[in-house]
Amino acid sequence: MTRQPLLRAENLVRDFRTGPRTIFRAVKGVSFDVARRETLGIVGESGSGKSTTARMAAKLIEPTEGLLEFDGVDVTYKAGKALRDFRGGVQVVFQDPYSSLNPRHTVEQVISAPLLYQGRKVLGGRRRVVKESMERVGLNPDHSGRYPAQFSGGQAQRIGIARALVVEPQLVICDEAVSALDVSVQAQVLDLLRDLQRDLNLSYIFIAHDLAVVRQIAHKVAVMKSGEIVEQGSREAIFDAPRHEYTQSLLAAVPQVDPSWEAARQAG
Amino acid sequence: MTDKPMLQVVDLTIAFPTAAVVDQVSFEIPQGGTMGLVGESGSGKSMTSLAVMGLLPREARTTGRISFMDEELLGRSDRQMRRLRGDRMAMIFQDPLSSLNPYYTVGFQIAEAYRAHRGGSRRAGLRRAVEAMDRVKIVDADKRVNHYPHQFSGGMRQRVMIAMALVCEPELIIADEPTTALDVTVQAQILELLAEVQQSTGAGMLFITHDLAVVSQVSDRITVMRHGRTVEQGTAEQIFSRPSNDYTRQLLAATPRLDDQVDLPEPILTPVGSEDS
Repeated sequence: MTRQPLLRAENLVRDFRTGPRTIFRAVKGVSFDVARRETLGIVGESGSGKSTTARMAAKLIEPTEGLLEFDGVDVTYKAGKALRDFRGGVQVVFQDPYSSLNPRHTVEQVISAPLLYQGRKVLGGRRRVVKESMERVGLNPDHSGRYPAQFSGGQAQRIGIARALVVEPQLVICDEAVSALDVSVQAQVLDLLRDLQRDLNLSYIFIAHDLAVVRQIAHKVAVMKSGEIVEQGSREAIFDAPRHEYTQSLLAAVPQVDPSWEAARQAG
Repeated sequence: MTDKPMLQVVDLTIAFPTAAVVDQVSFEIPQGGTMGLVGESGSGKSMTSLAVMGLLPREARTTGRISFMDEELLGRSDRQMRRLRGDRMAMIFQDPLSSLNPYYTVGFQIAEAYRAHRGGSRRAGLRRAVEAMDRVKIVDADKRVNHYPHQFSGGMRQRVMIAMALVCEPELIIADEPTTALDVTVQAQILELLAEVQQSTGAGMLFITHDLAVVSQVSDRITVMRHGRTVEQGTAEQIFSRPSNDYTRQLLAATPRLDDQVDLPEPILTPVGSEDS
């Protein structure tokens, strides 16, 4: 049976001009799809093309070649209303919560900005929607008048998530969204992302260099190297039975606690 | 060789005019041993390492004892500390690009690190630089000494920093998040290199990191820090197999595992055309 994914990318290619006659092909034809309430993890080392791929999927940049389909509609190179509709359906959460939030805007202004950009009239008013959105991500709605600098890193990232959710998107693209966070805060934000997925039927594209984190959030994983997807599969397939040599070497390089210590701790 | 620890930190307390950042931290490093300091941001682990190196800002008030090879370091003048740093005590930081001067070749910078303490001609310094770069396995070291920092990859730059740290054959290496900015495959190589270097030189190491898996691999003993205090101290095996402190347990439980996974919501796989039904 054919199933229609929420987002489908086919042979995306992206070139960057590096000089008058030189071009660098950062992404060399990648294909993937994401279903509803599904998370695709994209992993790779620096320079692998994972962030460029994420930016194409978010339509922050256009591919040089290839096709991007959202909800069955071709959105490649689309602007105007089609782009506005796409922005309502797909939102992005970035790595550094402080630099991606306007420091001179209150949390209320930050979170309601996407509503403003899209010229949306909101039932019950912006203030109510902002407060709901803050509650949903575990922030105290009474703090909507504060500025981003008054929040901790984990809280600031929750603001970024609240901003993404305010337009009720179907897909959220997380580009190293938990990489800058302390491990205990990271665990809480991952919990939040999973809860939101369950409650709102959200889909995610989750870009990260940390493989252990990706295993805790992604249903399926694409491994990128030098602009190509070298291997793609379910998280069990990628982590427990990697087939590509590069995936194997990547997994082998991840530092791990001695399994016997880990077992002893679980038992005790 | 003595049984006395090479570095002994006793009741170290660091206070700034506005707040105390480290409160009564004690640990010691035996000859050739590695102490891992692990904690989240704000735990005081980097402040502790800066205190050992005498690099705290002027307004910091420090009490306690830091003795290095039986010599008390607290209360020493900047000049005395400068003589020690880079010579008998060397540092490796997180970001090699900001620790290297972009205007000078790496060879010149490693040679300077040597000559600042040992003197000698530029040519002799450069020879030391080539040797040090060889030791950290930079291929074609005799050519690479003439290259500038930007001509090296992130991992290679960190090798250059390690070469610079080793050039005076220090007794103690202080590594503050040395692999945090590196790709995982490069990190593995650098950790391996540090272990080899320690094996061959017998240097002690103070290794600061937020990464529990990394600290479990490199350390003999571990100090877990939180809000400026020691919450737990023990061998790597004790900390990871029998943690006695709640915070340590929480930290370990929060660390994502590569060989285990949590449940996820089921994806909705809608057949084409059935969305309205």
